[in-house]
Amino acid sequence: MVRIKVEKPKVHKSVALHIKAITTAFKEAISPGTITIHYPRERRKLPDNFRGLLQLDKEKCINCFRCAHICPANAIQMYQRENKYYPGIDYTKCILCHFCVDSCPTAALKPSKIHDVAFASLSTMVLPPEELAGEPEMWREDTVTVEYDFDGDLKMIKRKEVENLIVEVEKPKRPEFVAGAAFPENCIACRICVNSCPQNAITFKLQDLQTMVLEIDFEKCTGCMVCIRNCPTQTLLPFRREEVLKGGESDEQG
Amino acid sequence: MNKVDVKLWKIPIPEKPPECRFDWTKERPERVERCKYFGNLKAVVIDKGICSHCGTCYICPVRGIVVEDKPIDFPNWRKDCIDCGACIRVCPRYDYTPLNGLGEYIEAVAGKSKRFKGQDGAMVSEFMAGALEMGIIDVALFVARDEEFKPYVVHITDPDQLKDERITGTKYSFASVMPELHDSIKHVRAVGIIGTPCMISGLRKLQKVVPLYKQKVKLAIGLFCTENFYHWQLKEFLEGRGIDLRKAVKTDIKKGNFIVTYDTGEEFSIPVKEMEEIVPDGCKVCQDFSAVEADASVGSVGSKKGFSSVLIRSETAKEIFEYLKEKDYIEVGEVKIDVIKRLCDYKVKIHPYPKG
Ligand SMILES: Cc1cc2nc3c(=O)[nH]c(=O)nc-3n(C[C@H](O)[C@H](O)[C@H](O)COP(=O)(O)OP(=O)(O)OC[C@H]3O[C@@H](n4cnc5c(N)ncnc54)[C@H](O)[C@@H]3O)c2cc1C
Repeated sequence: MVRIKVEKPKVHKSVALHIKAITTAFKEAISPGTITIHYPRERRKLPDNFRGLLQLDKEKCINCFRCAHICPANAIQMYQRENKYYPGIDYTKCILCHFCVDSCPTAALKPSKIHDVAFASLSTMVLPPEELAGEPEMWREDTVTVEYDFDGDLKMIKRKEVENLIVEVEKPKRPEFVAGAAFPENCIACRICVNSCPQNAITFKLQDLQTMVLEIDFEKCTGCMVCIRNCPTQTLLPFRREEVLKGGESDEQG
Repeated sequence: MNKVDVKLWKIPIPEKPPECRFDWTKERPERVERCKYFGNLKAVVIDKGICSHCGTCYICPVRGIVVEDKPIDFPNWRKDCIDCGACIRVCPRYDYTPLNGLGEYIEAVAGKSKRFKGQDGAMVSEFMAGALEMGIIDVALFVARDEEFKPYVVHITDPDQLKDERITGTKYSFASVMPELHDSIKHVRAVGIIGTPCMISGLRKLQKVVPLYKQKVKLAIGLFCTENFYHWQLKEFLEGRGIDLRKAVKTDIKKGNFIVTYDTGEEFSIPVKEMEEIVPDGCKVCQDFSAVEADASVGSVGSKKGFSSVLIRSETAKEIFEYLKEKDYIEVGEVKIDVIKRLCDYKVKIHPYPKG
């Protein structure tokens, strides 16, 4: 057996340690350094683009199905309402990745800071579009909003205020696309693009029996790519909006 | 270990900026009937009995045209047809002038594969395998069969897949090669197809109307052909003669006889003349035996047993043929061109057009 010899602390060192311990105890008694948030009476302040429950603005939705296509959890289903389709979300599947929010060309799907949700049963977790619009029913007990200050010693900043959980956020800048006629020679004049465009940005006119004029309004086009997906002959392709506009300018100059 | 060869490709982006407006001025044929375009196709081609069942009209953008083991149809066309006229513009039998003869060719040879077992010399398989290896195409559409010899289309991306003998070999029934091509054209970069002469004619017309298909279909191998059948009719006919296709390993037409070979080696032979009643009407107006519009045409007549006769018609096909020789994949033999010529003439004789 090996015996480890522990040196006895020197007296002055031991006194210093005791004083430090006592001052810490006093400090904690006056202003405690705990970093626990007393939820639900207190709430932590969340960033505006927090990935919580989703909100749908039916007015803005152009029923392009992009959200349903991109959802990696297959949680979005489109519901027919009148002559349009709107997304509904199955929260038993949703992983709150907000790909749908990112892909929405018109910011009709919006994030919210609501993350503490309770459902009465599994079936109530499947929300049709109507239930995505507007504020959900909320019970709030919180009176204090807490923020952490990470500079130097971790500190808590408590404010006696109630944070709004649904805020308007500006959609982050992403490259914008428009659909352009890349290979007009492939067009078979089926007009599926015209009929499928949710924005009615594509129009066609029959000039005579043989000639059809197809026109894409780049102003109206949201780059949702429904027409591109539907075009059977790859006539249309997506283009960067700024490049298209630049191209137009140089055309005018030349 | 399996080697996975991932070929990356991009959609070609045109150099000029896209157009926001374009005038579409393409010839749409005059209407014969005062109804939607499919109604015209039906009146002029299908109801007149000259439809070859090539399936090119499956281009129909609303996918209303049904290409199955029965005459081509568009149920409910009066309501659902969007009247774009695409079907009429690509139909090789609308405005029909039969092609015939040997056609133009650079070289006529006989060949036998050392790698694959096919109907004859498996030269069709070799051409596609060669094109895949050379990178001319990324995928080839082959016609495979189920246990009852019903054809279906498969995508071949690796020559090794052709070792499966259900993929090589002739199936004497209409295959949905063109529908499969239409369904996959947006997802492929360069594709090769195999087809009967009518399919090759359909493809060529399609390529003129929609350049996308010219850009993507890089190789079209045609098969010599006298007639083809609806699968259900062929099956019923053979059943009537006590032949069960489930036991068959090969079907063939040799010297005017339809020959079915069982897995036991047993052979049944029926004169093709007796099958006259089940030859579809569309085949009875076809005079193109040698697939004159193909990149290369392959058949059995004109060469020794175990060899395929090949008519090389395009530069691409020539390049592939040279590659196959250089790699020593094939054995080259003699072809009797006058025998092929005789069959071409024979087909014109038995299939007069306009019908007498
Ligand atoms: C309906 C039909 C009738 C024919 N009639 C004659 C004839 O009268 N005289 C003659 O000399 N040759 C005829 N042939 C061609 C012949 O039977 C062989 O297909 C040809 O010689 C090629 O043999 P291979 O060994 O080189 O091909 P393989 O390497 O065996 O490959 C043949 C390929 O043809 C394709 N194929 C098979 N059936 C069909 C089909 N129904 N539709 C489209 N593609 C198909 C398959 O992808 C198959 O892999 C006919 C072929 C068909 C399909």
